[in-house]
Amino acid sequence: MKNSRLHSAWTPWIFLAPFLLSFTAFIGWPAVRSLMLAFEQTFGPRTTAFVGLTNFRFMLHDPFFWTAVGNTVLFTVAAVVTQIPAALGLALLLNRADLRGRRLFRVIFFAPSIVGLAFVAIIYSIMLEKRTGFINSSLHALLPAWDPDFPWLEHYVMPSLILAVLWLSAGFYMVYFLAALQNVPGELLDAANIDGASPWQRFRHVTLPEIRPVLNIILLLVVTGSFQLFELPYLLYNETNGNGPDNQALTIVTYLYQTGFRSGDLGYASAIGWLLTLVLVGLALLQRRLTQKEEL
Amino acid sequence: MFSPGLWIVLLMAAGSSVLIALLPVPTRPGMEMWVFDPNHAKIARYIAEDWNHDHASNPVTIHLITGAAIQSRMMSGFYSDTPVADLIEVERGMIGQVFAGPVKDVGFVELTGRLDRENLRTGINGPSFSPWTTRGHIFGVPHDVHPVMLLYRADLVEAGGIDVSKIETWDDYFRVMRPLMQDLDGDGRVDRFLLNASPTSIYYQEVLLLQAGGRMFDEMNQPTLSEPVNARIIARLATWYAGPGHVASEITLGGASSMRLVREGYVVGLLAPDWFAGSIRTSLPDMTGKFKVMPLPAWEKGGRRTSVLGGTMLGITKAGRTPEDAWAFAKQLYLSPATAQRLYEEARIVSPIKANWPEPFYDVPDPYFCGQAIGRMYLQLAPDVPLRPSSPYYGLAQQLLNQSVTQLCAYADDHRLYDAAALEPEAQRLLNEAQRQLQAQMDRNAFLLPSAR
Repeated sequence: MKNSRLHSAWTPWIFLAPFLLSFTAFIGWPAVRSLMLAFEQTFGPRTTAFVGLTNFRFMLHDPFFWTAVGNTVLFTVAAVVTQIPAALGLALLLNRADLRGRRLFRVIFFAPSIVGLAFVAIIYSIMLEKRTGFINSSLHALLPAWDPDFPWLEHYVMPSLILAVLWLSAGFYMVYFLAALQNVPGELLDAANIDGASPWQRFRHVTLPEIRPVLNIILLLVVTGSFQLFELPYLLYNETNGNGPDNQALTIVTYLYQTGFRSGDLGYASAIGWLLTLVLVGLALLQRRLTQKEEL
Repeated sequence: MFSPGLWIVLLMAAGSSVLIALLPVPTRPGMEMWVFDPNHAKIARYIAEDWNHDHASNPVTIHLITGAAIQSRMMSGFYSDTPVADLIEVERGMIGQVFAGPVKDVGFVELTGRLDRENLRTGINGPSFSPWTTRGHIFGVPHDVHPVMLLYRADLVEAGGIDVSKIETWDDYFRVMRPLMQDLDGDGRVDRFLLNASPTSIYYQEVLLLQAGGRMFDEMNQPTLSEPVNARIIARLATWYAGPGHVASEITLGGASSMRLVREGYVVGLLAPDWFAGSIRTSLPDMTGKFKVMPLPAWEKGGRRTSVLGGTMLGITKAGRTPEDAWAFAKQLYLSPATAQRLYEEARIVSPIKANWPEPFYDVPDPYFCGQAIGRMYLQLAPDVPLRPSSPYYGLAQQLLNQSVTQLCAYADDHRLYDAAALEPEAQRLLNEAQRQLQAQMDRNAFLLPSAR
């Protein structure tokens, strides 16, 4: 009897132990340590100085940080208003049974998301290059007055980033929407049709409420992913360490990386990291709250 | 009692734990050296063969590792005593992080005393030590000098009947070369520019600033971005980059089509440290006899004719078990004429070791550069290479300088103002702001405050 009680008390912990140990070692403890670091000036674990709230106070007046925040927020807003409608539009289009070759289109639209941001950055930089890039040379061939040296990447920093990520992500989120659309009950749409609802009304009052849970998840993914933007500007504007001309491509994570791993200021980088975490958690909670309200 | 499945899990966990505990900690024989450049690795392996023959008990193994991987492994090792190599070649961009803490915590063995005791310091090109020196302490043996010259399209220049001997200053250069700035396809736009540079070329701003006597930090690594000389220089740079008549445009070297543009003569002149001359020779072997080098045109008559770009040092880590052997190998590798010769012949990099400078291989005419003995030309400029900072805030300073130049060009375009003197007040204002930002970042570093030295 006693053995059996012991068995039931310890068994879940034994099975959970591998996860708990690895979580503590690789996520829990580093998170705690980085929180401590945010209040320190450090040069490795042996050389630290407690600086209290200095890192956070400095952040309030750091123009680089606020430029990074501004760029990141702008990118996030643009990502939400471009990626979600584009993905949903593609999904609605490819969900039509009467569309010929829709499987091929699905593959074509999904393909960019397989290759990843690094590949997109390389392709983009080649396409937009001065003089020899596909865009400039094509435009110059079509319109001789077009300047073949037009510096797309220098003049249109944020649009370049937004377009590159849109190209990569639209097909990816399209797959989520497609799955959701296929779960919309056909009889509801038929009933709305019989009742004389227009296509927009069917979408607005039948399809959209049905796919809302997926829409919410995608919204969360787009927002958190956009706040963590790093590789694309880092590769696209490698010559300026990812900052772009006049810091127009500087994002929060790029700044965190530069501070922590180029200047070696891990304390300040941790403070930036924790602020980013708080923002993301806050956004996730806000979204959850709004979603719950809608469901009620 | 426990179920059989649970027993199996427990036994496996216990067994694997014991197995891991019993595994011997691997001890590597001899010394390790990390190198980030394939050319450097080739030469180091060649020298290591001799070393290993004579020092069978403590051989050295050369590992070629990408720069980013070296940086993260090296810094992890320095921070937390995880294993690092005995010797590490460090590129200029990596060193700031090494020097971001107190001097006593730098992960490399200080070499100042050794260099002085063995009378080596005076035998090595003085300015080449500056990036590897922090707060008066030297932590690396310089691998190179990297003087900068102007690499130009001799075929185009000669076809245009231009005499480069008339060029002494940048103003001369742009005036004399002006006829080469042409619309080649008749579309009314310039297809050939005079210099490969642009407001976003983060490295070239520094090269030109240093050449002109400007600087981002003083000898004590205090920021000097707002010095008036810097404002004068960036105001002049803006006149090269901005406006409809801009004389400079940039080929992003390393970009997909960069070599095609160089071949097509998109730019007449390129800022070329010795390693770049070696690299272009390898990248465009079919362009033999089309390039020449000349000292950089000075900013003012009688001014400096060179600058500096890039650089590597060899450091001995404190974690190494045999620092004396590491030092002996470092000397054998970096001081030997054999290394200097291979470095020059394979990469056109000139040695910082003064004793190697009279070597005749530097005088061999190079057919690629129209028979010029470019080794000798670079060496003649070596002593005049400007000093560079080793501050961990060097990258940030570069960024702020770049930002100021970009903003100044935008200001010039907005106000249609393309005169250097007229742009100078705005340049000064931008640099003052950059200096303020840099100083604010630096003031937070408790380890670099004068009181902490």
